[in-house]
Amino acid sequence: MIEFKDLSLVYPNGTQGLKNVNVKINEGEFVVIVGLSGAGKSTFIRSINRMVTPTHGELLVDDENILKYKGNDLRKLRTKVGMIFQNYNLVKRSTVMKNVISGRLGHTGTLRSILNLYKKEDMALAYESLKRVNIEEKLYSRADQLSGGQQQRVSIARVLTQQPSVVLADEPVASLDPPTSHQVMKYLKKINREDNITTIVNLHFIDMAMEYADRIIGMRSGEIVFDGPASEVNEKTFEEIYGRPIKEDDIRGGKDDNEQTP
Amino acid sequence: MNEITVPPKPQKSPTKIVRNIGIGIGLLALYVWAFATIEIPWGRIFSERTIANFDRVIPKLFSPDFTFAEKVLNYMMETLFIAFTGSFMAAILAVPFGFFAASNINRNPFLNTMGKWILNADRTFPEILLALIFVVAIGPGAFAGVLAIAIHSVGMLGKLYSEVIESIDMHVVEAMEANGANKVQIFFYGIMPQVIPEFLSYAIYRFEIDVRASSILGIIGAGGIGTLLVISSRNRNWDEVGMILLVIIIFVSIIDYISTAIRKRIV
Repeated sequence: MIEFKDLSLVYPNGTQGLKNVNVKINEGEFVVIVGLSGAGKSTFIRSINRMVTPTHGELLVDDENILKYKGNDLRKLRTKVGMIFQNYNLVKRSTVMKNVISGRLGHTGTLRSILNLYKKEDMALAYESLKRVNIEEKLYSRADQLSGGQQQRVSIARVLTQQPSVVLADEPVASLDPPTSHQVMKYLKKINREDNITTIVNLHFIDMAMEYADRIIGMRSGEIVFDGPASEVNEKTFEEIYGRPIKEDDIRGGKDDNEQTP
Repeated sequence: MNEITVPPKPQKSPTKIVRNIGIGIGLLALYVWAFATIEIPWGRIFSERTIANFDRVIPKLFSPDFTFAEKVLNYMMETLFIAFTGSFMAAILAVPFGFFAASNINRNPFLNTMGKWILNADRTFPEILLALIFVVAIGPGAFAGVLAIAIHSVGMLGKLYSEVIESIDMHVVEAMEANGANKVQIFFYGIMPQVIPEFLSYAIYRFEIDVRASSILGIIGAGGIGTLLVISSRNRNWDEVGMILLVIIIFVSIIDYISTAIRKRIV
């Protein structure tokens, strides 16, 4: 369980990233955070694995305040909380396998990982993860030979290899075309359901948010302005969250041309 | 048909025109001053003697003494070894310096600037000067040349390495941090794969330069083919000098060719 208690974050340049956020996210939920760019979505997500450090309040992950974590504790937290990025952030010159096994780094001793002496189970787990996102045939390809959608699937496999209890996804489909976006979201939903991994995704496409989320949290200028089940949400809700009428850019579309996914 | 006209060029401001004319006059004055003060002995350059000397020297240079070839080749090999050992040492030594001088790794502005200055300072020492110091310090021979090459090359390689490191994708590093990797693991998994090919490419390029540099180090007794060059030219054995030049040209060209071919495939 993740609990924000009156959490605020002010960046050194004075920008307020989060403003008195109070929210509770339960285990196994699929939460989509929506809001315009600059609304604090990224800050919200990155607080949970302490890629940014909130300046005020408490943030509990499994009943422990993570704000005072340092060094070892911080790394342990990050092994538990996996992350997926907009630009995949794979090592382009390394093979898919090496990228996926790097999800194991937090669980592996330094010397062992440098010498590439992974346990058999770890290698098997990495391969299994690739299979779950249907990209196991690219095992020995270099990451830069893959398309954007394939790279994002590899990064999902990397997160799976980490065996996290929470997955954070920061705009995971912003660089992809509509069909591929749906594919990636479906894989995220699938691992959320199968492994009961709490999944928190940043999106700004309202149709995707409504389709995949269990629960939608709307943000504007660092504050939570909406929080409720996806079934209660309609376009009007989004207009309130965004503070302006819905535009064409807010909709991803392309759902119907997508047939190859689970 | 519609006539399409390009919009007129923006007018240059008068101050700019005056500035450009000023720069032009300044440069011209500099040239006039430079040539006027060095007192070129035109008379001597185009004298009978010069022409006679050319007649004696040039044809000999172009008829190399092939009986001399074996000796030249031996010294050329020594030159290559000096260059290789020197650049190999530099390629490794430059790695820590490169990281020290890279602003995205060494985030302390003071230490970072210091790292850059050390490399800058190192590069201001020409190889030949370093070789002179080492010949005096540890005695003449190939090892003095190796050290001179190594230390000079660290300056350039360290700077190039640091630029490579500064251009890596830091998002990858961020991703590794986000999955709980420690600093050492990030170094080996996130940074090294991104920089190794460029490091190698620059090291090979540096070897190419070092072959040329080490072929003259022998002139001051630091080993290699320069030793031979200085002896032959003092004795005015121009056909031997011709042979030496021929070997240097062939070897340097071959190495250039091979190094370009390898570097193309690495990156």
